[in-house]
Amino acid sequence: MVSTVTNTDVKQKDVDQAVVVAVTFAAVFEPETEDGSSIYRLGVALPLVQVLQRVNERLLEKNPAEHQLFDVILITTESWQQQQNSSIINSTRHHGLEVGRFCFSTEEDYIESLMQNNVQLFLTTDGNEALQATQQGVPSALLDTNWVSCPSEQLRVLFCEKAIFQLNMGSTEASKKSAQNFLAHLGQMKQKFGVFDSPLCFTLVTSHGGKDNCCCALKSLRSLGVSVDEAYCLGGAPRGPILSLLRPHFLLSDGFSLLEG
Amino acid sequence: MSNKYQVQFKMTCVKPATLQPKPENSITIAVSSRVLFNMDKEQQIFEQQGMEEYIKYQVAHETEPFSPGPAFSFVKALEAVNTQLRDLYPESEELFDVVLITNNHAYVGLRLINTINHHQLFIERFCMTGGNSPIGYLTAYNTNLYLSSDPVKVREALEQGIAAATMFTQEKMTEVSETQLRVAFDGDAVLFSDESEQIYKAHGLDKFFEHEKAHENKPLDHGPLKGFLEVLGKLQKKFYAKGQRMDCPVRTYLVTARSAASSGARALKTLRSWGLEIDEALFLAGAPKGPILEKIRPHIFFDDQMFHVEGAAEMGTVACHVPYGIAQRVPERKGLKDKEVSSIK
Repeated sequence: MVSTVTNTDVKQKDVDQAVVVAVTFAAVFEPETEDGSSIYRLGVALPLVQVLQRVNERLLEKNPAEHQLFDVILITTESWQQQQNSSIINSTRHHGLEVGRFCFSTEEDYIESLMQNNVQLFLTTDGNEALQATQQGVPSALLDTNWVSCPSEQLRVLFCEKAIFQLNMGSTEASKKSAQNFLAHLGQMKQKFGVFDSPLCFTLVTSHGGKDNCCCALKSLRSLGVSVDEAYCLGGAPRGPILSLLRPHFLLSDGFSLLEG
Repeated sequence: MSNKYQVQFKMTCVKPATLQPKPENSITIAVSSRVLFNMDKEQQIFEQQGMEEYIKYQVAHETEPFSPGPAFSFVKALEAVNTQLRDLYPESEELFDVVLITNNHAYVGLRLINTINHHQLFIERFCMTGGNSPIGYLTAYNTNLYLSSDPVKVREALEQGIAAATMFTQEKMTEVSETQLRVAFDGDAVLFSDESEQIYKAHGLDKFFEHEKAHENKPLDHGPLKGFLEVLGKLQKKFYAKGQRMDCPVRTYLVTARSAASSGARALKTLRSWGLEIDEALFLAGAPKGPILEKIRPHIFFDDQMFHVEGAAEMGTVACHVPYGIAQRVPERKGLKDKEVSSIK
């Protein structure tokens, strides 16, 4: 049974214009509470949540009436987590995280919950969850615990051919459309800032295929209104070293039809 | 509005006719955009009107190719050597691999790629760092040589132990061979360390000659370009193995102020102790390098002193500066314009 709870500590975002990003409990919190309390410790995705918050702050600085903001929701994907709902709510408020609402679901129904809440991007540290969600049409990204925990003033998004796990084109027309929608939103947010000192940084990395492959992808992104800052065409060279230099918060590819090949 | 992204946009992975070598096997030459092509006009727009105008201009002129820059003929010659290597060793990955490394933004990069295609250069790897320092990427790509118009980046690369040199726009670039790659090196502070040059700076040429004669049998320490000479030597041996010693498509030159009579011997003995060969050693005993380089016609000449770089460039040799060693700290004889303007490369 899915339940959605609003976080009254946080100003709610505009339902039509906000960009809904769901992050799992397991990414935001550690599974154990602080000694003697019911407050959960913060986990690897804290810097990510903070940087999403930062982007919102910068957007509001530019335009206090801005509605195209990130709306972060926290979702549980296992029964035991669902049962800890009040502790989770308390922990979130205790740490002052800008989480708009909570979705308390289990492994059976979290995807349904994602869809009900119009989630445009689902972020998780669990490969299977990301895979399943994508297959069901919710654009997802697997958070890499190495980089997501780097504090940053800038949200770094990386577009690439394959995210960390292998995914076979199980995505549907509908999911491709939602993915492109999400990209368009990202592009619009970025356009509000200049080239320097932007809170959003977009990078394209193509590992295989030549430069024409990479250029095609750049042009596709451009026509979606996404302004790409950096581009790397690796021509078969391994991706690891570049990724550790770039330290993206998340990678987008599966479900994003730009770069399948 | 195009519909192509509403349809399943399956991009076929196009394998180029010749495969990309793996970075660990190949000789990676990283070039920045401003040395590969002439972007003076655009550079001016950046300096005078700022980044946003610069990007707008570049995107508006996206399909107009740039004209060749100072490193262009060098890159073409590298490709010619690759062609000949592939003929002799079709399975080998020991080839030159040219990577474009620029801190331009990605959309400016499209014009660069269009230009690469226009000139039919075989460059399949690139990094557009969008303003970040490229130094991390140089190490990630096992770079053997980095050429840039930005002396700050070149110094950073040298500090990381990567062979690097600063290139400049040249008015005159004489014609060079299209089939034989010719690389010329200065000795001290380029192939060798600057230990002897320190003596020259402190005590003058005669003392330098004396000192070198006295230490003839003690090999010099290596300089920043020694590794590059080494990889060139490995390729040469591959040609020799197939009987191409007389006509080797790679030829190396040492062009030094050392004198054959005295200090030259130490240079040659050092090279020999390293197991390296150089095809021609020219000992000028302090004479200007321009005229001899004009005869040799190398695709590229490396020197640590701007005086020699400028002298060579005046006569049409593509000369680049290795900002290493004592010569950078002691004022030059000829006026040296400070090229440290922050810019897009």
